[in-house]
Formats: sequence, structure tokens, C-alpha cells
Amino acid sequence: MKNEQILINAFSTSLGIEAAMVTQDLTYNTIPQWDSTAHMILIAELEDQFKVMLDTDDIIDMGSVAKAKEILAKYDIEFDA
Amino acid sequence: MPDINNTNSTQANKAATLKGYQVTLRPIGEDDLERLRQWRNDPSVSQFMLSQADISKEQQQAWFKKIQRDTSQQHFIIEYKERAIGSLNIKARLVGETIENATVIEPGLYISDPTYRNNIVAFSPSLLIIDYCFEQLGCQKLVAVVKSDNHAALKYNQKLGYKIVKQGDLIEIELNFDDYQAHSKTLKSLLSRTPRT
Repeated sequence: MKNEQILINAFSTSLGIEAAMVTQDLTYNTIPQWDSTAHMILIAELEDQFKVMLDTDDIIDMGSVAKAKEILAKYDIEFDA
Repeated sequence: MPDINNTNSTQANKAATLKGYQVTLRPIGEDDLERLRQWRNDPSVSQFMLSQADISKEQQQAWFKKIQRDTSQQHFIIEYKERAIGSLNIKARLVGETIENATVIEPGLYISDPTYRNNIVAFSPSLLIIDYCFEQLGCQKLVAVVKSDNHAALKYNQKLGYKIVKQGDLIEIELNFDDYQAHSKTLKSLLSRTPRT
């Protein structure tokens, strides 16, 4: 499975939303499903799926889907342009 | 447990500087007054305060003089990456108690910087001050009053373990140590990881 799809699935599962809702500009706290609890679940899911350990600055910065891709790229996770 | 630097002596009640969960809480000083006044008068902040009246420079100076002498409360600037992003205070709830020996403490907080208002780091100052209140000051419970239309604040506090004790236009909430420990564990672990080298 491509990393883009893994990312979408991780967001969809963690936030309990349809995959179609996982757009690049989806942002923390702008939908009821993406609250602090879901954010913690999301971090755990992303770490599990991509086999990375995010540091706290990245956890704080991960405020959108686009930002998540940018952060994961720092951990050598590649996404198609 | 927060790092505490108690060398600051500019305030009569000697508030400590607290560090943890990526943020710093430092006692407010005279240089902060105008910035605090502008934050507090901003409708995005004042809309959820009990009073929406604009605060003048003179009122702000008078308030600062009062809190410097008042041992029942402490006021802090919240800093993230050395940038001031909001303000926090704690007050002894019961008459006659100082903040040092308070059994019940009422925290108040706002994030003035919109960048961090909708961000997980908004929990950091609360985690830091609640640790301080329970573990350093030894208080028994925390209480707060939230306007009933401030759904974000209510939800935020419930995530920290606060429970509603009285409904109304003003909702009263309380937090005890056990509930706090149970609710904050994962949040604390995420916000206190060691930075990558």
C-alpha cells in the first residue's frame, strides 16, 4: 500500500471519519472528531504504521494532514508529489 | 514533575518560574502589562471572561500593584519556544488562605496567540500548573467556573479530568488528583518526550 493511503487510513481510523474527509487541509480541532484524545490515538497509529517515534515538537506541530506529511518526510517517509 | 526556579524575587509573593511539557510559566513583570492588557481587551479573549469591559492602562497598573502584594494569587506568562503565547493565573479559592497553603485553587488561563489556541500544546500550561498545585503546593482540589457557551473550555477541562459539579449560566467544575492522574497520563507522555538529537 502506498504511504499516502496508509496516512489516509491512519487518520480515518484514529479520528473515526470517512477517508474522503481526510484532505490536505483537514486541521486539528476544526472538526469534533479531531480533538486531543483523537490526536493522541492518531500519533500512536502513525507511529505504528510508519514505524517511527515522533518527538514532542512534531506531535505539537502536527496540526493538519499536510503538516503530518511534512513531518513524516523528516523521518524518511516518502509521499508522491 | 515541573522544573522550578524560585530565584525570581520581583514579586512580593515570589511566584516561581515553572518549566515542563515544552512550555515555561514565568511570573508576570511590569514589562508585560501593556501586552497583557491588549490580550485581555481582544474580543477573542474577553468574550469568554466574566467581564467584557475594556481595561485601561491605569486599571492595569492598579491591578499589577494589587497582585504584587496579594499572597493568595500568582500570575504567569505562558511561553512556548521563548514566545509569549498567553497568560495563566492561580488563586486560592477560600478566604484567608495564601496560595502556598491553599486547599482549593482556581486556575485561569487563556491562549492569546491563535496559532496555538487550536493546538495540542494548549494543554501544556495546564499540565504544568496542575502538577505544581497538587505536587508542590499540596492543594486538595482545583475548581473553575466556565461560561456555559464556552464549549471549547469545558471540553478542554474535561479532557484533563475535571467533572461538572454545578450546571447553570456559569458551570462549576472540579478536579481531584486521582481523576487528573487518570486523564492526563497519555497527554503528559506525548508532551514530555525527549527531543530527537
